[in-house]
Amino acid sequence: MFFWVYDLPTFQFGLLCAGAFTLFYWIGALFFRPILRQFVKSTPFCNDVVGYVLSSFCVFYGLLLGLVAVTAYQNAADSEEAVTREAAALSALYQDVSHYRAPYGQNLRWLLRDYTRYVIKYAWPLQRRGVIPTEGGIRVAAFEEKLLEFEPQTRSEEILHAEALRQFNTFLENRRMRLFAVQAGIPAVMWYVLLVGAFVNMAMVWLFDMKLITHLLLGGLLASYLGTMIFLIAAMDNPFRGEVSVDPDAFESLYRQMVEE
Amino acid sequence: MQTNPLTGIGPTDISPTTRRRFLRRLGAAGLLAGMPGLAAGLFAGCSGELPPLPGQFSKRGPIRVGLLHSQTGSLALNENPVRDAETLAIEEINAAGGLLGRPVEIICPDTKSRTDLYPRRARTMLVDHNVAALFGGWTSDGRKVVLPLLKEFNRLLFYPLAYEGNESHHNVIYGGLLPNQQVLPAIDWLLSPSEGSRTKVFLIGTDLIYSRTANFVARKYLQSRGMQVMGEILVPLGGRDFAPIVAQIRDSGCDCILSTITGDSNLAFYRELAAIGNDPRQRPVVATSIGENSLQSFLPEEVAGHYTARCYFQGLRSPENERWVETFRAEFGYDRVLSDSMEPGYALVHLWANAVRKCGALDADSVRQALADVEFAGPSGILRVDPRTQHCAKRFRIGRVTTNREFEVIHESEQVIPPDPYPQFAFPGWSCDWTKDGLIPGPAVRFEL
Repeated sequence: MFFWVYDLPTFQFGLLCAGAFTLFYWIGALFFRPILRQFVKSTPFCNDVVGYVLSSFCVFYGLLLGLVAVTAYQNAADSEEAVTREAAALSALYQDVSHYRAPYGQNLRWLLRDYTRYVIKYAWPLQRRGVIPTEGGIRVAAFEEKLLEFEPQTRSEEILHAEALRQFNTFLENRRMRLFAVQAGIPAVMWYVLLVGAFVNMAMVWLFDMKLITHLLLGGLLASYLGTMIFLIAAMDNPFRGEVSVDPDAFESLYRQMVEE
Repeated sequence: MQTNPLTGIGPTDISPTTRRRFLRRLGAAGLLAGMPGLAAGLFAGCSGELPPLPGQFSKRGPIRVGLLHSQTGSLALNENPVRDAETLAIEEINAAGGLLGRPVEIICPDTKSRTDLYPRRARTMLVDHNVAALFGGWTSDGRKVVLPLLKEFNRLLFYPLAYEGNESHHNVIYGGLLPNQQVLPAIDWLLSPSEGSRTKVFLIGTDLIYSRTANFVARKYLQSRGMQVMGEILVPLGGRDFAPIVAQIRDSGCDCILSTITGDSNLAFYRELAAIGNDPRQRPVVATSIGENSLQSFLPEEVAGHYTARCYFQGLRSPENERWVETFRAEFGYDRVLSDSMEPGYALVHLWANAVRKCGALDADSVRQALADVEFAGPSGILRVDPRTQHCAKRFRIGRVTTNREFEVIHESEQVIPPDPYPQFAFPGWSCDWTKDGLIPGPAVRFEL
């Protein structure tokens, strides 16, 4: 639903989050604060009471924010690793099949190159939109078909072929990991809790008895930082979307090498 | 309290801002500021484009085209390079700003070298993806099974392959060679004194419509030229058992072989031919389906000295070809080769784009009409569609395989040869002219061996 934010440049995305939270806080301070204040204004030392409650709430919310941020980072790091491992396995496989006798070696190399090009030029833009690319599977099937057609005729060819098959399986595993990661992200329920927590945080600040201008300034600062934290998590979430995402550098450098050899 | 007589504002009106006053002013200012945006939003919602009706194309978003190719199976070796050539053409169009200001998006499912999958994949592309045009196809069987769909959805298929003729469909633009541009000139060349006036021909092909019809046309032509058909064999698609067939060829006493074998079977055929010690100088093979790409799968000693009859060879010297070869290799690898089936694939995509630019529309009728007025300077020369037959005039060339698995062009027709899908000696009474009466069928023809 909110995936369009990933189409924005990182700077604008960050500003949007911080700005939206600040604006929300200001609107609340102007419209909701008088209503909420009705519940606490007769309480003696209400600012102290609100302060204690806010402090204990912030402990829980801070923990949640930290954990979610780590999860998002871990997702992104895992995806990056899967991509790097897939490219590495592809490179090793390319080297292995290069030693096959003609014409197998050349055909297999072309098929792997075709796959790499597809990943860079067509699969990546789809992944950036959260779509799992399917046509790469066709290219993998084409390669597998030709790889299995090869019949080793010497002992060294047998060893080479066995190694290529092993490397192919590694490549398949990592490819699958990359595809799984395309739609990986923080679950919706977690986002819900996170945003409710941010709201509660701001609502508690509205309860403080302060001048309007003080509210707008201090609460605005707090809200903008909350927005920045949410931006950080959102930017790292969905590892293939947006500017802060896993890029195809590993595949690109491999493809350059394949083309120029 | 006094009121300013000029402004009408009393002293209370300039008192310090309270929350209530601030809210009132903010609300009024917000309403004023928001009204244009609100109105714009409402009107934008009302004027949004409706989804296209069936058979129509959206005026926004990418233009989708379908590539109909086998990327796995026995035809993959041949079809993948054509797909690459078509992809390159589309990428070039996109790099130049797209078509009608929109990007062109490729839909490319796998037909797995199975004829039954062609209509299924084509239907998916036409229904689910609403593609503006289809490009590709390899076997004639595969092409023929999608013809009803092309008619039903009124879309154009741009078919890049040399094929057997005996067809002119209103929804197909044929970019490859016809028998009168390939098989018949090859027979004439074999008959020429420079090539030893060979007169005993053995016909071999794949058991598909292409070989059946091409061999039929060749047989009729050979008979009309006083040449002998020493034998004719059709092998199953993907067939590899050529030992008995090659023995039969050897025993037939033929002095040349005209091969319309398609796909991986060629590997086994040439290997077996080399195994019996066939000398290409004594008994050469003139193939119609061997290009630079498939040549890379052979061992040099298996194919050197044999011939291929085509329109395009990678080594052609022209600025367009040199530019294309360089672009393709920079994109796909410097060890890649370009072949006769790739060239029309590439050129047809550009020709379609030129037609779309000219008519400013995507529907088949407009594009077909515009195709009569556009051309594309392709790697093998100017590509132009003959509106009567919807085929292209092509130049005929013969290439001899060298020991480093390249083609040396040894013969070239002086002029481009006009397309004739229905040579009268083979299909008496048949004709087509899509600018007038369309297809006029003649008596039924049987292609018995």
